[in-house]
Amino acid sequence: MMASPMALAVEELVAGYEADVPIVNRASLAVAAGEIVALLGPNGAGKSTLVKAVAGLVPIASGRVLLGGDDIAHRPTHELVRAGLAFVPQTDNVFTRLSVDDNLRLAVAVLARCKRSARLEAGYALFPDLRRQRRLPAGGLSGGQRQMLAIARALVSSPRALMLDEPSAGLSPKMVGEVFTKLAEIRDTGVGILLVEQNVKAALGLADRLCVLVGGVNRLDGRPAELARSPELASLYLGSGHAAGRAAGGT
Amino acid sequence: MNTQFIADGVVAGATIALGATGVTLTYSIMRFSNFAHGELISCGGYLTLLLAGGIGSIATASAVPIDPFSVGWGVLAAGLIAMIATGLLALLLDALLFRRLRGAGASISVVMASFGASMALRALLEVVFTSKPAYFSRELEIATPVAFGLRATPDQLLLVVVAAVLVAALYLLLGHTSLGRSMRAVSENPALARVGGIDVGRVERATWLIGGALACASGVMLGLVVQIRPFMGFDLLLPLFAAAILGGIGSVPGALIGGLIIGLSEAATVQWLGAEWRAGVAFAVLIAMLLVRPQGLFASRL
Repeated sequence: MMASPMALAVEELVAGYEADVPIVNRASLAVAAGEIVALLGPNGAGKSTLVKAVAGLVPIASGRVLLGGDDIAHRPTHELVRAGLAFVPQTDNVFTRLSVDDNLRLAVAVLARCKRSARLEAGYALFPDLRRQRRLPAGGLSGGQRQMLAIARALVSSPRALMLDEPSAGLSPKMVGEVFTKLAEIRDTGVGILLVEQNVKAALGLADRLCVLVGGVNRLDGRPAELARSPELASLYLGSGHAAGRAAGGT
Repeated sequence: MNTQFIADGVVAGATIALGATGVTLTYSIMRFSNFAHGELISCGGYLTLLLAGGIGSIATASAVPIDPFSVGWGVLAAGLIAMIATGLLALLLDALLFRRLRGAGASISVVMASFGASMALRALLEVVFTSKPAYFSRELEIATPVAFGLRATPDQLLLVVVAAVLVAALYLLLGHTSLGRSMRAVSENPALARVGGIDVGRVERATWLIGGALACASGVMLGLVVQIRPFMGFDLLLPLFAAAILGGIGSVPGALIGGLIIGLSEAATVQWLGAEWRAGVAFAVLIAMLLVRPQGLFASRL
């Protein structure tokens, strides 16, 4: 079905903060290059935990995380971005006491020395507002611009796969539109994007594919047009049926 | 009014500032109050003394004082090597003792461990070197007028310049280098730093090297203007923390200003109240500051 190469694949992933309490329980999903996959699911389904585990912030008990064919499941967290995986956490995703410019310079520091200034420039070219505010501490940016800086930070490291944990949280509808337009532009450069999203409607508009996580395992997978008509998707969000009681506590 | 305390206070303040900078860096990057930092100062002083002796036995000329200073190039070269060695000692202490406790999130255990390390290192220095004071040089220096009727020895002037250069270098490193940006990033948000590709362990090791080297410089200064004793660093511990907290913990300029304020208050106290009050003044300034402005002079962190 997919002609493009795989950017990121998660196979039978089991992960959680404590070894005997798996929050993600045998979840599998795949993101192709140049594709946006939205990870949906009711509260407590383990969406956030899944991306945090892939990003190296939550211990992985078993399963594989493939990035361009290499299993990165047990690599040290700080090596993942060099391997080509960038992650934008939901909160505290920029260094507020550092200037905008220092935030981006830190992000390009993972690249070979000769590529750094070109990537920095490319980052500013994609986010012209940030160039105007480069000297400002990132803590002084508005919520929307802070989110843009967080995405820019992830992007300038030249990732193969980009994961974002609820990038629309707390933003005005207008800002959500701008952030999603940016994500579509990034997708079109060939990056595979995995996006955790609470806002189902927004996700249906942006994503190429949806993956619905319930009780730590993926239950539905498909194109937005197919799933939008699915009664199962609606029932999951109404909290009825098998979704209830499976929530493993904390996303 | 006799203002000589200003000259003495600036020299003492520069010594305190170098140590306080290390305390502030360790705290803001590893969230850890290292009470063994004073012993890094003492070890730096004794390492320099040993190395200077070693260099002197190979090259006799190294011990001949360079006019107008009281010491020869041997002590200066020894000081530079000892700065690296003290940095490595700090690194070793962390690897053997602190790191595993820091990782476990046991903040009180790691503070207690640093107390233990402080006692052990001090006892070791007393066993090896005895508690008798030692000196880099037996030369007597005459204080010469500098300006505004203040007098200082050439050694004191040199040390203030060296301390200023070291603090300025650290400030530039933090502001304008990749390592400095990484250090500031880890100090603010270690998890995001890791996700962003920063090797936090490497940043912590660099912090120990820098903190140890600056502590050694502080020890050499103290040895030159006062004397070298196993308790020299321990006696400085309260002023170090007072200066770091006064300046706003995590702030390098704050540690510098805090050090100068503590040094000047101590010198003023000695001049007007008597030397027996000196040890208390850092406490008094610290308590006053905590009551008035608990975040310190410079609220902004690293």
